[in-house]
Amino acid sequence: MTAASDIRQGAALVVIAPPQWAGELELREPPGPDATILMMDHQGGATAFSGKVEYGQGIRSGFSLAIADELDLPLGSVSVILGDTAMVPFDRGTVGSLSTMTLGMQIRRAAATARGALVTLAAERWLVAESGLATSEGHVFQTSDTNQRVSYADLLEGKNLQLSIPDDTTTKQAVDFVYMGKDATRTDALARVTGQAKYSHDIVVDGMLHGKILRPPSYGARPQQIDTAGSERIPGFVMVVQEGDLVGVVCEREDAAEQAVDAIRVRWQEVQELPSDSDFPGLLKEKAKEMIVLRESGSPADGFAQADHVLEGNYFVPHVANAPMETSAAVATWDGGNLIVWSGDRSPFGVRDELASALNISQDNIRVIAPEVGGSFGTKGTVEVAHEAAVLAKAAGRPVRVVHSRAEEFMWGTVRPAAFYEIRSGFNNDGKIVAWEYTGYHTGDRPQRGQRGADTPYNTPNVRIAVADSASPLRTGSYRSLGCASNHFAREIHMDEIAAALKMDPVEFRLLNLSHPRLSRVLHQTAERFGWETKRDDSSIGIGVAIGYDAGSFVAECAEVTVQRRNVRVQRVVAGIDCGMVVNPEGVRNQMEGSIIMGMGTALRETVEFGSGRLLNSVFSKYRVPRINDAPQIEIVMSGDPTTQSTGAGEPGIVPIAAAIGNAVSDVTKSPVRNLPIVPNLP
Amino acid sequence: MQLLVNGKTYEVDVDEETMLLSVLRHDLGLTGTKYGCGDGDCGACTVLVDGEAKNSCITPVDSAAGSEITTIEGLANGDNLHPVQEAFIKHTAFQCAFCTPGFIMSTVALLLRNPEPDDRQIRAALTGNICRCGTYVRIMQAAKSAAEQSGQQGGK
Repeated sequence: MTAASDIRQGAALVVIAPPQWAGELELREPPGPDATILMMDHQGGATAFSGKVEYGQGIRSGFSLAIADELDLPLGSVSVILGDTAMVPFDRGTVGSLSTMTLGMQIRRAAATARGALVTLAAERWLVAESGLATSEGHVFQTSDTNQRVSYADLLEGKNLQLSIPDDTTTKQAVDFVYMGKDATRTDALARVTGQAKYSHDIVVDGMLHGKILRPPSYGARPQQIDTAGSERIPGFVMVVQEGDLVGVVCEREDAAEQAVDAIRVRWQEVQELPSDSDFPGLLKEKAKEMIVLRESGSPADGFAQADHVLEGNYFVPHVANAPMETSAAVATWDGGNLIVWSGDRSPFGVRDELASALNISQDNIRVIAPEVGGSFGTKGTVEVAHEAAVLAKAAGRPVRVVHSRAEEFMWGTVRPAAFYEIRSGFNNDGKIVAWEYTGYHTGDRPQRGQRGADTPYNTPNVRIAVADSASPLRTGSYRSLGCASNHFAREIHMDEIAAALKMDPVEFRLLNLSHPRLSRVLHQTAERFGWETKRDDSSIGIGVAIGYDAGSFVAECAEVTVQRRNVRVQRVVAGIDCGMVVNPEGVRNQMEGSIIMGMGTALRETVEFGSGRLLNSVFSKYRVPRINDAPQIEIVMSGDPTTQSTGAGEPGIVPIAAAIGNAVSDVTKSPVRNLPIVPNLP
Repeated sequence: MQLLVNGKTYEVDVDEETMLLSVLRHDLGLTGTKYGCGDGDCGACTVLVDGEAKNSCITPVDSAAGSEITTIEGLANGDNLHPVQEAFIKHTAFQCAFCTPGFIMSTVALLLRNPEPDDRQIRAALTGNICRCGTYVRIMQAAKSAAEQSGQQGGK
């Protein structure tokens, strides 16, 4: 479905992305004629189009800085349209910290293409060679006489150009950046501090009603009998909608809809004998499905036979909730057979396609728009709330907004899979690991869940890495650094256990077993900034280190903790990241800090409690996420080389933190921490 | 019922037990104040009622009638941002920013009653607000720099 008023109609120049530049791992449809990724208007301003969404990571700012630099435009002349299926090229969704790495480069090349076309136009106008021309602040000028200048707007007058990105397009070198690589205020900052930023909760359409969905008390429960008489007496009641399994009410106000859904009397048939959180980790291995061997190299059997020492450990990570501050919400409005949905989802095209199949209409009749998204961390990748709004709106014949309550978000949103690990290592007195056997079990039904980050980055000759999926009574989904953060917890705790067995320093022991230069460098720099050498002798605190890799980037973190009885306080974290060329250092630091805080929650407190198909702690007073008084001092070390490719920064920071904290706690208790959340095992 | 919000008087026709959050968002269209939990646990709905921070999701509207209510939309003076808003921009004290209006209002309330808070007092005043993106280090810096400014003004 196309937008009613499309700014591309007035374009003076558009840059089309050819299919191989879609910048995604898999391409479900060719970009076609609508794949404009950059346009310039007749005023000389540029607009980029991307199917990514802004859920806090600052991608709108990052793209803006890249375009301003490559096109030599003032930042104020650049805008970015995100996540509107009627406006942007197809995109698989905002996942895996990959936006800057894949699409960022594509957008830079598109902007460089537009800049090249403007230079050509100026050369034709002045009948001079392009080599004598340069660009700055929205103008082309002659390098021999800088008074000879022409604005982009003048060059584009009356033009209607369509460009493809030539293979030999070159982007700027880091030394030539005006905006990229420097701390930048986010371009959306003003709207965010004045309450003007619009999230799916805030979308209002003329004539809009409010919907609430009837939720079962437990997973798998089915209604046997439904009596809606009570709802009809609520002031502002409009209607009850029943379509298949979906039962909802529509009212004039949202609070009325809550009361009306509460007033429905239902006899439920619940599923009996559902597992509880205390059945974990046992159930993970018991319900394991097919084992996938990710790597087998050398001969683990020979390695263990020859090793001076063999150590075994089992590790457990429970289910944790994403719990973004904005609960899932959507607004749907029908115009005849056409549907427009605003949904705070990280994959607008995914929502469009799933809606098409759920509603049995063509995807050409659906437009999905992602407004500002109030946090995701991997959840909000499902169609449910958009589907609920669409069904209720269709039945009511008016636009409907559905906003999930916090309890609904906890129970019907997705959680991070639980995981269980068995690690066996063989090592010699000289500190070298010679054999490594690693088996991971992750709840969830997609095999890639446990694979990310399962392999060891250490230089070990005899290795076997295997993972298996396992069943969960909860709705598992993605999470920040899915699988990878859990895998790193187990591996990096085990690394400290080996170091302790050998009475070696944990930093030295890691460096001894690493041959990856970027990982060694980030560890070395982080430990140095932390003051590892001097802190080691301070018995009043515990210190811990862990390293990791994710989304193409490399990280190391050192944590300093104090332990009082069962209470762990993280006092200071130094975190190093090598994510190659940094577009916005302030953005990278912000993402690293956030990842550390989020990972601290998983380390110290968070665990979804459940039993009999019910969640037992689905309120923030019981599900304890980090608060400001938990926040440690955090320092970020940028360890990357600006000439290497940009890689992810949104997730890698969470990868080592739970192990770094766990190792710091062990430093105090002299007893390994093998389960999350951490409970100090004091003698 | 009459409500005084951001210096303007509004006549609203709602049940007296309706929560203030619902009236602000639904009846007055002031959507800068957010729903985060409905239990008073997260602070996303924080507004000022006679200068004090209140979770509007658990504040019945009739208890705020007759008081001066200030929301995030009422902080700036025309194009001039409130110093706390300026400080949040300066320190990029947000990511998704869904919690930001609540944090800003809690900080403003703190500085109204204590223009020179120390770190411990800032933490105590903001511990009722959750930022799931984890920008606490920045929020702390923003609150401290706003406090320095309000302390200087208080000392004049």
